[in-house]
Amino acid sequence: MTLLEIFDPKAPPRAIGIDLGTTNSLVAYVKNDRPTAIEDCNQRALLPSAVHYGDRGEVVVGQDALLRAAEHPRETIVSVKRFMGRGADDPETRRLGPYAFTAPKEGDANVVRFKVRDRLVTPVEVSAEILRALKRLAEDELRSVGGAVITVPAYFDDAQRQATKDAGRLAGLDVLRLLNEPTAAALAYGLEKKQNGQFAVYDLGGGTFDVTILLLDDGVFQVKSTGGDSALGGDDMDRALAEEIFRLAKRDAASASPGEVRVVLDVARQVKHGLTDVVEVQVENPLGNEPASLVVTRARFEELVQALLERTGVACKRALRDAGTKPEDLDGVILVGGSTRVPAVRAYVAKMFGKEPLADIDPDEVVALGAALQANLLAGDGDTDDVLLLDVTPLSLGIEVGGGVVDRILPRNTTTPAAARAKYTTQEDKQTGFEIHVVQGERELAADCRSLARFTLKGIPPMAAGMARLEVTFRVDADGLLSVHAKEDRTGIEQTVEVKPSYGLDDDTVEQMLIDAIDHGEEDLLARRLAEARLEAHRIGTSTKKSVEGDPELLVAGERERILAALTALDEAMTGSDPRKIQLRIDDLDASTKAFAERRMNRAIAQAIEGQKLESVERTVEHAKGVELAHGSPLPPASS
Amino acid sequence: MNDPFEMLGVERRFDLDLKVLEKTHRELSRALHPDKFVQAGVSERRAVLEKAASVNEAWRTVRDPIARAEALFRLAGIEVGEDKEPKASPAFLMEVMDEREALSDARAAKDLVKVHAVGATMAKRASETEQKLTAGFAAGRGDTATLQKLVPVLGELRFYKRFLDEVSAIEEEND
Repeated sequence: MTLLEIFDPKAPPRAIGIDLGTTNSLVAYVKNDRPTAIEDCNQRALLPSAVHYGDRGEVVVGQDALLRAAEHPRETIVSVKRFMGRGADDPETRRLGPYAFTAPKEGDANVVRFKVRDRLVTPVEVSAEILRALKRLAEDELRSVGGAVITVPAYFDDAQRQATKDAGRLAGLDVLRLLNEPTAAALAYGLEKKQNGQFAVYDLGGGTFDVTILLLDDGVFQVKSTGGDSALGGDDMDRALAEEIFRLAKRDAASASPGEVRVVLDVARQVKHGLTDVVEVQVENPLGNEPASLVVTRARFEELVQALLERTGVACKRALRDAGTKPEDLDGVILVGGSTRVPAVRAYVAKMFGKEPLADIDPDEVVALGAALQANLLAGDGDTDDVLLLDVTPLSLGIEVGGGVVDRILPRNTTTPAAARAKYTTQEDKQTGFEIHVVQGERELAADCRSLARFTLKGIPPMAAGMARLEVTFRVDADGLLSVHAKEDRTGIEQTVEVKPSYGLDDDTVEQMLIDAIDHGEEDLLARRLAEARLEAHRIGTSTKKSVEGDPELLVAGERERILAALTALDEAMTGSDPRKIQLRIDDLDASTKAFAERRMNRAIAQAIEGQKLESVERTVEHAKGVELAHGSPLPPASS
Repeated sequence: MNDPFEMLGVERRFDLDLKVLEKTHRELSRALHPDKFVQAGVSERRAVLEKAASVNEAWRTVRDPIARAEALFRLAGIEVGEDKEPKASPAFLMEVMDEREALSDARAAKDLVKVHAVGATMAKRASETEQKLTAGFAAGRGDTATLQKLVPVLGELRFYKRFLDEVSAIEEEND
């Protein structure tokens, strides 16, 4: 039986969940109804997020890359996640670290570029190498890998999310969804322990910190608020310790070589791990000078990281306030991320929330396990009807208006998917274009927020100032990704707006990278497109059959025949080897089911409302008894 | 604009049972969340995404008293928005000014008890203002002229909201 499973060439594609972490990454899937992390041949599930570029063009990922880091500090990228979606001049590039960066050339996207030997690599490409390694690992176990859910810190902004999705695409993954890490952890806890109530998830990873307050109610995971810092984590503890080691060794960190910096950072990490179990650690001076050995106590370490912990505390307080709740009203605090193993972190969390935090699922694995559960649900393999994830936008989204001020269009902690519109007009007579600057952040001035994109709506006929009516629509999808649309109402001009990401790669660049990667000989472009098209065809075919069988009463005369014909044509195309033909048949099927899908959607809406009407009648009776009214609590803070 | 009341299947009125609506929103999300349509074709996925976003937008509008009032005015054909509404009456401004002074004194003295007290007074007035809106919208149903007279009440609610935001900000900085 087992043998058959392993060698089944027609193994159905299995969905996977990936935790793409700062320090470690891992992949999991649902095996016999339980989320399970996939281990390598050495029984290790954690793949160090390290990528080494060798002198013969070879790329090494994981533990083997880490082993080369000391000798090749510039050619071995660790903690690449901290650079995802960041501009070339980001402060992150100026922190203590061994890398060489290159400024973008005129016309190039403003992204971080590592100079590695004679080539430049972007964080998206480095991350794609890690994802490829995980995909291979999953393929070894599952034969056939279907869609993937990749987790991101809840506090990741749009550029960081987009970069993660691009990396997935570059790695040849069918990215079903980007899932927020704390939500993934809550999903693993909630489904495992069947708990209901209000929880906080405190997620301190290698490079990012998230705090999320969410309500678990019979399978509904409703995020109330989220906060954090996408540049705060265990790495910062390592840096603080590394600086201490330089001080103890009486050396100036600024004059150290990249190799020395790498070695000291590694020793710092070992010291940090050691201090989890003992109160004092003695190490050999990694810099080789006098004194020969250095001592760090836990008390000193705790002093060094106190400021970092307080930064997490500020984010926790704000998240609690945004959720309209207090620590004493929480039913539990869940710890996620390797850095929550540090005793000082646990003590701080316990004090801050006034309760002992939960860590009964391995904090290193819990996010990937949750992602696997979500992937399974999205692939239609789980009991989808019972589970619903309602997540939020982590940061406010807005547009720069006169005086550099931000007009907030979607506030932070808005449930996704979200849409909102805002209207603007022209400032000057005969103005024929609008320059639109999209920003993300909580500050009043656009210059203090993160710039996401700039674009121009042109071709508006000259009018007097204030006459034009520009409507800008923001849409945030379930991945937390933003799209912006602009339209001039008076003329009906609705140009396709070119959104040039401020800190990201445009589609063409990603496409080119894809072709380059494939050129490097790993796979054949056509084979990949064919596999992608077949996967999509399989998915849509299966779901169409299911709905035709499930809701026959919603089909009009002749519709079933048309849909079945389109399905047959698709099946036929799938046996061929032309991805374009498959895509055409997918489009045909899509067209033949459009009206049917619309009817199904409308009925689902009507049913949801109808169900509530009945309940509403019951409640009206309670109403009369003086139960709280909408206006009983004036102006509540955003509460869901 | 979309009619958020229609979207959620409720009557156009100011006093709504938010507990029931929260459940309606959840049931609609269950029916429409993009997670449930990952397997579907492109146009169905797009349609559902759009609808799910509209449902969320409707719930966001309806659950916030100011946005709810704005929606009711707009649906009655009355343009609202801070730059389109009449200025507040001098009497009202005088009254708010006194409270504002009390708040800034309390803040300067770091007297959190006083800050809370001022906040509570204003929250009570905001609640009374909402009741005025409830009555006004009920009385002015289908009568634009009557509703037009209700617009300044929305302006008052905006003042209170801003005031209460300030109170939270002060509480936040002293947290």
